Amino acid sequence: MSTRGRITGLALVTTGVATILLVHWMVAFWVPNEASQGVVQRIFYIHVPAAWTTFLAVGIVAVASAVYLWLEDERADAAAVAAAEGALVFGAIMLITGPLWARVAWNTYWQWDPRLTLTLILWFTYLGYFLVRGSVVDPRRGKRFAAVVAVVGSLNIPLIHVSVEWFRSIHPEPTVLKPDGPTLPSDMLATLLTSLAGFTLLFLGLFTFRYAVERLRRRRPAVVSGETDEALT
Amino acid sequence: MNELRRAWLITLKDLRLEFRTGGRLLSMIAFVVLAGFLFAFALDQTAVAGRDVAAALTWLVILFASTAGAGRIFDPEEEEGAFRHLLLTPVSRPAIFLGKTAANLAVIWLVTALTFLSLTAFLDVRDQGSPAAHAAVLLPGTIGLAATGTFFGRMSRHSSLGDTLLPVLTFPLLVPVIFFGATSTARVFLERPWPEISGSVRLLWAFAVGSVFIGAALFRHVSDE
Repeated sequence: MSTRGRITGLALVTTGVATILLVHWMVAFWVPNEASQGVVQRIFYIHVPAAWTTFLAVGIVAVASAVYLWLEDERADAAAVAAAEGALVFGAIMLITGPLWARVAWNTYWQWDPRLTLTLILWFTYLGYFLVRGSVVDPRRGKRFAAVVAVVGSLNIPLIHVSVEWFRSIHPEPTVLKPDGPTLPSDMLATLLTSLAGFTLLFLGLFTFRYAVERLRRRRPAVVSGETDEALT
Repeated sequence: MNELRRAWLITLKDLRLEFRTGGRLLSMIAFVVLAGFLFAFALDQTAVAGRDVAAALTWLVILFASTAGAGRIFDPEEEEGAFRHLLLTPVSRPAIFLGKTAANLAVIWLVTALTFLSLTAFLDVRDQGSPAAHAAVLLPGTIGLAATGTFFGRMSRHSSLGDTLLPVLTFPLLVPVIFFGATSTARVFLERPWPEISGSVRLLWAFAVGSVFIGAALFRHVSDE
């Protein structure tokens, strides 16, 4: 891994973690309670940024996978793997915090609501992405198949976004990304935006590290798999 | 010879092979009959009416049978590299996909008809609703199942997980088919008016057309040897 990559990754992760710590302080001591839901609404500042980061990661996987299918460029595949791991991790955070919030807000952990169902489908699709990748004997074919799964899975993203408007949904409608501007009070918006920045920086830092490791692994497969040691002995 | 004619020839070849060997078709037929038989024992019909659960069971049996069959769509062509020879012919990948999907669809229709008959008989469903309305719901749903199964069936051929991979990849994608298919079929059983059903049928058609187009567009990435 190059020194520049290491410094960039470290800077992004450090800034991301520091910002998320600041968000925790803001959530605990600064931002006011939401009028109707009370203290439980504060999980919003973790749930929404986790969802945003998941969709950012899925978007990167989709674009990188499409580029890989088109050009068969190893860098695109490495970027797709690095982002897909982020999509799974941040997706898991979103899928855990959502039901915890729902238990109090809706009196149930889960509803088979279109947006929730489509998001769960997306997460399972990315689980399939890694299963395909790991189970196909020919690695080149495995990468191609995984890229196809990612492209097919990404078609879900616009559906998830419009599902709240198209179908009757229990999930709240967007409060920030709206044509007529955000409807959140300014202190809540500031906390949310800080959290979004922290999650995004943390993801980009982890992505940078993971991409570098993946590139390194492909460049020197014999060293990583231990074959060099065997050859020397 | 245009591409649709080539696709049609592949469909005929696959169906001829299917009926000559019969292994896949017979196992699917045995599965749906036995599933209906077991559901009749598993269901306490004094507590739950067969008609109330027939729609959900019909779609689940069709889904499981078509998924089990999808893993073996390419089996007859594995011997002596027949599929590789097919790829070497001047037939485009989308035409191969369409031909194989159509053959798979024909088998699924046969299985669907049998599933419907066996479940309504075993669960003693007397008021079955309009056959035309059932066909209007099942047609787009099965097209979606056939296209998705054919596409991922090719992918699972190369996986060390084999047929285990297929449900992991297809089931999440097929949730809309099962959801809109089962709710529409349930409404047909209950003889609800068509406007209550037509919205779901339109979504089933959207899925069917989308899965056929996307499968045809991406098939070369999963079929090239």
